[in-house]
Amino acid sequence: MITRREGRAKVTGAARYAADMRLPGMLYARIVRSPHPHARVARIDAARAAALPGVRAVLSSADSPAIGWHESSRLFDTTVRYVGDEVAAIAADTPALAEDAARLLEVRYEPLAFDLGGQRQKPKLEERGQLARGLREADVVLEAEYRTQTALHNALEPHGCTAFWEGDRLTVYESTQGIFAVRDEVAEKLGLSPERVRVVTEHMGGGFGAKQIAWKHTVIAALLAQRTGRPVQLVLERTAENLASGNRNATCQKLRLGAKRDGTLTAIDVRIDLEQGAYSAGGEDSDVIGTYLTLYRCGNVRAEQTALATNLGPAVAFRAPGYAEANFALESAIDELAERLNMDAIELRLRNYTSDDQREGKPFTSPESLRRCIARAAQAIEWQQKRPGLGFAAHDWAAGGGWPPAEARVDFRGGRARVIVGVQDIGTGSRTALAQIAAEALGIAVDAVEVELGDTAPGLYGPTSAGSATLATLGPAIQEAARAAKEKGSATAKRRDNPKDRSIRTCGAQAVELCVDRDTGEVIVKRVVAAHDSGRIVNPLLHTSQVIGGITQALGYALSEERIVDARFGEVLNANLEEYKVPTLADIPEILNVSESMPDMEANPTGAKGCGEPPIIATAAAIANAIYSATGVRVRELPITRDKLINGIRR
Amino acid sequence: MRVFRYSAPDTIGEAVAALGERSRALAGGTDLVPLMKADIAAPDELINVKPLLPRGIEARAAGLEIGALTPLAEIEQHPVVMQGYAALAQAASLAASPQIRNLASVGGNLLQRPRCWYYRNARIACWLKGAADCPAREGESRNHALFGGGPCYAVHPSDVAPALLAFDAALRVHGRGGERILELADFFALPEAERRRETTLADDELILGLRLPPHPGETRSTYLKAMDRKAWGFALVGVACVLRLSGRKIAHARLVLAGVAPIPWRAEAAERELLGAEASEARFAAAAEAAVQDAVPLRHNSYKVPLTKALVRKALKALTDPACK
Repeated sequence: MITRREGRAKVTGAARYAADMRLPGMLYARIVRSPHPHARVARIDAARAAALPGVRAVLSSADSPAIGWHESSRLFDTTVRYVGDEVAAIAADTPALAEDAARLLEVRYEPLAFDLGGQRQKPKLEERGQLARGLREADVVLEAEYRTQTALHNALEPHGCTAFWEGDRLTVYESTQGIFAVRDEVAEKLGLSPERVRVVTEHMGGGFGAKQIAWKHTVIAALLAQRTGRPVQLVLERTAENLASGNRNATCQKLRLGAKRDGTLTAIDVRIDLEQGAYSAGGEDSDVIGTYLTLYRCGNVRAEQTALATNLGPAVAFRAPGYAEANFALESAIDELAERLNMDAIELRLRNYTSDDQREGKPFTSPESLRRCIARAAQAIEWQQKRPGLGFAAHDWAAGGGWPPAEARVDFRGGRARVIVGVQDIGTGSRTALAQIAAEALGIAVDAVEVELGDTAPGLYGPTSAGSATLATLGPAIQEAARAAKEKGSATAKRRDNPKDRSIRTCGAQAVELCVDRDTGEVIVKRVVAAHDSGRIVNPLLHTSQVIGGITQALGYALSEERIVDARFGEVLNANLEEYKVPTLADIPEILNVSESMPDMEANPTGAKGCGEPPIIATAAAIANAIYSATGVRVRELPITRDKLINGIRR
Repeated sequence: MRVFRYSAPDTIGEAVAALGERSRALAGGTDLVPLMKADIAAPDELINVKPLLPRGIEARAAGLEIGALTPLAEIEQHPVVMQGYAALAQAASLAASPQIRNLASVGGNLLQRPRCWYYRNARIACWLKGAADCPAREGESRNHALFGGGPCYAVHPSDVAPALLAFDAALRVHGRGGERILELADFFALPEAERRRETTLADDELILGLRLPPHPGETRSTYLKAMDRKAWGFALVGVACVLRLSGRKIAHARLVLAGVAPIPWRAEAAERELLGAEASEARFAAAAEAAVQDAVPLRHNSYKVPLTKALVRKALKALTDPACK
C-alpha cells in the first residue's frame, strides 16, 4: 500500500498552512463587513480606528485604489449588497488589535431595500427533440418539484493568506485551489505583470470549490502590505467564511418525466431556479441542467435553468457543482417513476442506459462503465433482496478527464527523479499519485521520486484543482516527460489534447441501507456502498479516501446541513459550526468503496480519471430513496431533517 | 472580544466580593468565552474561580455531592453516578463534544445562556438582550420553545439540568451573606422584564456545588435526547425520567424536558398520570399526551410535539421493560 506522502507531516502538525506563516514584522488584518443586506456606505470615519496604538493601516472606499470587482462593483464599493460584504480592512500588530480597531471604525450606512426572493437573470436553455411529442407518447408522466438548500463549504481551513513585497515583487502564501488563478487575478487587479506575483500553497485544509477563484482578501492583504511595508496575514474568521466565501446555490427544480409502460423515457422537462447571491463571483454558474441532458437516453428533452440574484452571499462552485443538486431531483424522480411503472428502479435505469454523450453527440470513452458501476453497487448492497430501507442512485459527471493546458518537468539522475508541476494539492494526495505515475514511467520505486508542487515560481503552468482534473491533466504530461527524461535526463512535456471524437466522463452508482425511527424521525444510515468509474485507480487508498470524504460531505447535504436565513433581516442565522451541522464522526456509517479499476485508455495514456467530486453526487438521492423505502415518505426537499420526516410520517 | 480585566482572587469570599453585573466568574469558559467573542457578553472583568471551586463527586449517606467545577466528563464516567443516577450520567455523555465535556463545569452548565440564533447574533435585537420583542416568535422557530414561551422563546440548552431536576437536586450557593441552599427548581425561573435571564442566582453569587438526595436502589432513570446529528448538537427535545416501581405500580415519577422551554421544563401533568398507576403502554401514552397538553407551537417547531411524546413513551418503556432494567 502506498500511503499519502504528507500524511506524517499533517498529523504531527509539521505541515505548514497559510495561517502558520510567521514573518518578521508581520501584521494581522481584519475585514470590516456590512451589517446590512443592502445599503449605501455614506461616510467612513477611520480616525478613531487609526489612532489606536498598534494599528498600522486602514483601507476602505474612502482611500483605496478603485479596483474593479465582480461585474461593476469595486474592491470596497460604496454600495454593499449583502450582510458580510467587504467595507474596509485594518492591519494591526495583533489580531485582537485589528478586531478592536474594526469596532472603532465609524461607518454610516443608508439602508436600501433588499431582495431575497431574487431578480431573475437570463435563462440558460438546452433542448433536443420535441418535448410535446415526448409527453404525448408517454404512458406515464411523473410531475414533481424538488428543492435543495444552500450549503456552505466549511473547509476545516478557512480562506486566508500571508502577503509580502520585495521591491515591486509580491509573494502570497495562500490557501487556494488555483495558484495560477490567484496569481493572474491578483496581478491584474494590482496592475502588475503576472511574473511579479508569486503564489505558494504548500498544503491546504480543504477547498471544495470555494477556493478555486481569487477572493478580495488576497488583494486586500497585498494592498495593506504595500501600504505598511510589512508582511500582512489575513485569515477569515469562521463567520466570514460562512457569509462571504461562497456556497452551493439553493435550487428549485420542477420536472416532468414521461415514460412508456416498459420504462422507456420519452420526455424530460425541467425548469430550475437557482439562487446565486449578490454577485456573480466566478465559478458559481453551476450546470444544474447538465445531468438531465446526459444521464439517461431520451430523445425529447427541455432543460432550463435561471439564476436569481439576491442580497445574500455569492454562490461559488462546490464539489460537483450543479450535479449534486440535480442528481437529488432526477434520481429521486426516477425512483418515483419506477414505482408508478411498477418496475424495479435499477431495471428502469438500465432500460434507459446510454453509451453516448447526447449533449455532445459522440460516444463516451468508457461506454459500459456506468453499467458496471450499477451492477457492482447493486450486488454489494444485495439489491435483489429488496429489503426495506435500501436506496439507490446512479450519477454522471461531465468532468474528471482533465484537459490542457498544463505542463510538467521531470529530472532523472542516478536512478532518482524530481517532478515539478504547477498545481497545488487540494488535499487529495496529488504528490503521491503524481509520483506513482512518474515512477511507473521511469520504472523506478515510487520512493525515488520527489514531487514539487504548489508554487508558481518555476513558471510551469498547472490548472486549478477543479473538475476532478489534477490527475488526468498532469498525469499524462508527467508520463510523457518522464519517458523523455529517461533518455535525456531532463524533459518538459505539455498536456496533449483530449480525443475529439469521444467524450470523457466519470460516473458511478451508490446504494444506501438505513433505518428510520418512525416515532422520533431519526435516520440511522447503516451502510453506503459506492462504485465509481475513475478510470484506472492509481492509488486505492487515496481513492477510497475521496469516496469516504465525498460521501461524508453528502451525508451532511442529505440530512443536516442548511444555511438558515431570516428573510426579515437578510441575516444568516447559523454562520457557525454549531448550528450549521456538518456530520460528526458519529454520523458516518460504514462506507464501502467497491469501485473497480477500469483503465480508460481512450481518455488518456495513463488510463486514469479523477475521483474528487463524483462521490458526493449520488448519495443524497440514494438516501432519500432509502428513506422512502423504509417509511413510505417521499421527502423532496433537502436536508431531510427530523421535522420533515416526523411531519411526513404523521401525514 | 472586547478588552477586559482579569483577576484571580485567593478566597471564595474575595471572589464573591468582586462579582457583580460587570464582573463575571470564569470557570470552564465554554459558554462565557464564546458569548464574549460574539459580543453578546462584554464584562469589564473576569474573575478566575477555577482554583477556588470544589471539584469532584462524593457519595455520602445524605446523597451525592458534586463540586461546581466538576467537568461533565467526570460526571459521565463516575461509577456511582452511572449506577445510581443513570439519567445524569447519560445526559452528561450526550452533551456537547468530548473536548467540551472535558472543560465545561457542571456549575457553568446550569448558568449557560440559550443557543437561540437570534440571541447569539449581536446584530439582531431580541427581547432577552433588552429589545421589546422576540424575533423568533414570527421568525425561524424550528429550535424554539413549546412551553413557557413569551416574551422569550429560546430554549434552555442544558442536558444535565433536566436530569438534575429529575433527581430533586439543590445548589450550594455562596453570596456576600455567606452560603445558602437553593433548590434547583427555584434556581430556574422563566425570564421576566426585570430579570432577562433564566436563573434567580444573583450577580454576586457563586455556585459551589450540587446536592442530590439519596434515591433507593430500585430507582431507575434515563435521559433520551433527539438531535439533528448523532453527536455535538443541542437537544431538539430531551427527556429526563426518574421512576420507582412498587410491584407494577409507579411509586415515584419525575419527567423533566429539555429543549422545549426557556428553562428545563418539568412535565408535572405527566407525572400525575403515572403516580400510583400500573405501568402499561396505555398509561405511558396518556402520560405522553399529558406532557404536551399545554404546548403552544410556533410556525416551525410543531414537530417537537410528537417528538416529545415519542421520547416520553420510549423513556418510560425503557425503564419498565423487565429485559432492560
